[in-house]
Parts: sequence; structure tokens; C-alpha cells
Amino acid sequence: MAAATTSSPSPSQILSLYRSFIRVARQFPDYNIREYTKRRAIDAFRQNAKLSEPSSISEAFSFGKSQLDVAKRQAVVYSLYVPPLPSVMDLPNKPF
Amino acid sequence: MTSKILTSILRNHLTKKPNLLRRQPLSTAAAAELSDPQNHEETTAGITMKGVKISGRPLYLDVQATSPVDPRVLDAMLPFYLSQYGNPHSRTHFYGWESDNAVEHARSQVASLINASPKEIVFTSGATESNNISIKGVLHFYKEKKKHVITTQTEHKCVLDSCRHLQQEGVGALYLRRRPRIRVEPQMNGGGQERGIRSGTLPTPLVVGMGAACEVAMKEMEYDEKRISALQQRLLNGITDKLDGVVVNGSMERRYVGNLNLSFAYVEGESLLMGLKEVAVSSGSACTSASLEPSYVLRALGVEEDMAHTSIRFGIGRFTTEEEIDRAVHLTVHQVKKLREMSPLYEMVEEGINIKDIQWSQH
Repeated sequence: MAAATTSSPSPSQILSLYRSFIRVARQFPDYNIREYTKRRAIDAFRQNAKLSEPSSISEAFSFGKSQLDVAKRQAVVYSLYVPPLPSVMDLPNKPF
Repeated sequence: MTSKILTSILRNHLTKKPNLLRRQPLSTAAAAELSDPQNHEETTAGITMKGVKISGRPLYLDVQATSPVDPRVLDAMLPFYLSQYGNPHSRTHFYGWESDNAVEHARSQVASLINASPKEIVFTSGATESNNISIKGVLHFYKEKKKHVITTQTEHKCVLDSCRHLQQEGVGALYLRRRPRIRVEPQMNGGGQERGIRSGTLPTPLVVGMGAACEVAMKEMEYDEKRISALQQRLLNGITDKLDGVVVNGSMERRYVGNLNLSFAYVEGESLLMGLKEVAVSSGSACTSASLEPSYVLRALGVEEDMAHTSIRFGIGRFTTEEEIDRAVHLTVHQVKKLREMSPLYEMVEEGINIKDIQWSQH
């Protein structure tokens, strides 16, 4: 799964990976999974911004890429089985 | 199947109403068509279930009953439902071998989470079976020499008695120490799978899911614990800031962070649970939630009968959001206040009468 990359990813590659996560997160119809995917990606990128070692940067980058693949596949699966009722958290007019 | 998907997409198209559009902007139109959660004809109408009108899926705070499957776990499981369907105990072909590899990989994932050897892991159908094997199995195996078991009053029902109650999730794992070796008498006999301790074909997709869940748990434990304990504190503070007469059942220091069991004085528990229809919570502990009896666990913890009757168990998980906690606080406070306004007991307490001094007996 983890493609062993010898060279470190460029800042633009990292930014593009981050944007892809935010984009794929929005595609989850499930409120909780959508929010989690977005939150977890943001926190992971914030955490990994502290990395300085090139090898750990590329390791984190390839792990991120494999996680993005999981998220892309699952966003499709979740979209195929949207429940008949949306979460109360997604209702435009909150009943309370 | 395909036609079903098509019709649902079509329906989403046709029923798209401008007032239902998501407030945050969507990146791609295709995604909006496929997955916009608000494009349901049921959205405006809602459905009625058990006499309760439900306009949306309640926010879920019952993760001690069951928790949503992590998408990473589902992702690991799906191939074993689709193409890798071999019986892991088949020795004569590729299908069996690849399933066997997957099961053994899952076994090592479970083992590394709890710092054990894969050889010490036995897959079972769930916690109930694991507990039955460990207690009855040990008891039967050593019955000639020793016949005492020490347990606690707060244990799960299936640990305490020979468990007529069955709530099986489908898969579980049991840790059996190798050195010094612990031996059990099998509770189920058959083809000798799992070294004869638990015969029966292993469900590869479920076992793979369990392994994946253990791996995710190992990676995410620190992150999740930090977040969930903050949410637990937010929930407790939110409720106790606005309500008096709230008691935490059990210790606050020695507590699993994903749980908060609260009792609300002068409120009838069932009414409170029914009033909280936008929040999915339980009373008592998971094993007795089908009965109206207060939890024996709470009783064993020394919670008084009247307070045990008003207990609500809030479960917080990996996917719970801050907004959900705030909403749950708002709804709980609102409902408790409403019920207390109707309660003659609460009125008396507010007038300074000590309820415990009242002689209730009649002739």
C-alpha cells in the first residue's frame, strides 16, 4: 500500500493532498463521518507540520495518500446507501 | 440494485428544493447530486415510529450499546464480502489460503493492540461467548481441583450468571495466556477450529474487520482519548452549570472517558428518556436496557433506588461532535426543567421541605 518514496514531497504536493481530503470529506452524506474526516485530516496535517526529518515527512505523506484512497472509496460506498432520514444535525430547520 | 440507485438519484434530482440546500458550499456538482444529505422527500415530512414523529435521525449518544463502523474498517472488510470469500479453513485451494492469511493477519493485529502473542488470541462470536469460555471453560477444566470463582457485583450479566441473555455482535476475541498456560474446556464442539477451543468456521470479513478496528484503535487511541475526554467534560459542565440535583453515577476519576452516567433528581427516568427523542441514549447499562428495572450495576455502586430510576447513560465516541454535545446539553436541560416544573416533589423541595422526612404511608 505505502509507496516507498525516496524523495520528499513538495509543499504544493502536500497542499494538494490536504485539499483533496477536505474535498472528499464533504462527499460523505453521513454527518458524523463527514465531520470526522474533515476534522481528522485538519488535525493530522497540523500535527505533521512539525515534522522536519525528510524520511518521516515522506512516510507521513504516503500514509496520507493511502488514507485518501480509503476515504475516496468509502465516500462512494456511503453515497450508495444514504438513509431515508437525514441526521437532525443536517436539518435546515432544527426541530429544537 | 442499479435501478434502485438510479431512482434514488433521480428522486434526489426531482425533489431538490432551494430551501433545503446546504449552507456550506459544495465543491463539485456531481458530489452534490450523489450525496447531498438534505435532498430527501422525507426531510420536510419526517416519519412516525412508535407514535413519535421523527423529523431526522437522532444524534447518537449510545455508543456503549453499539458504535458506528469506522469507514477504514469497512474498507478492509468489503473485499472479503465481494471476491475473497474463501473458507479460511479450506486447505486445498487459493481461496482458502488467502482467507487464512487474512485471518492470521487480523489475529496479529488484535494481539499487538493488547501486547500479546497471536497464539494467545482465540476468535469468538463476541464478548458473551468469550466470557462464557473463560469462566465456564476454566471452571469445568479445573473442577476436580478447584471450584471457586471470585467476581464483582458490577460485572456484565454474562459474566455473573450462565447468561441466558444473548446480545452478540458477530465477532469477538478472547485472550488466553500461554505462559503459564491456562486451559479451558471448549463450550462448543465441532471441527476443531481455533485449536479446538472454539469450533466453527470463522467469519473472515468480521475477523478482518476486528483486526482492522484494532489497528485503527492503536493508531488513534491517544488522539481519540484526548478529544473524547474534552467532550465528556463539556457535557458534564454544560448540564451541571444549568441544572442542580444532578449526580454522576460512579467515579469521575476512574471512569472510561467515553461514558457519562447521570441521575437527575425529582425527574422520572422513563419520561425523560421519551422526552429526549432527538437524542439516542439509554438508561442503566447496556445489558438491561430492555427492562424498566434500574441497573443492578448502579445498585451495586451504591446509587439509591430513586436516583437509579432517573439515570441516563451518555456514550461519546470517535465520531461525536462538539455541536452534538451542545445540542444534547440544550435538550436535556430543557426536558429536565420541563419535567421538574410538573413535579410536585420538586415544588416541595423548592419550598424547603426535606422529601426524606415525609411519611408516605397510608392506611
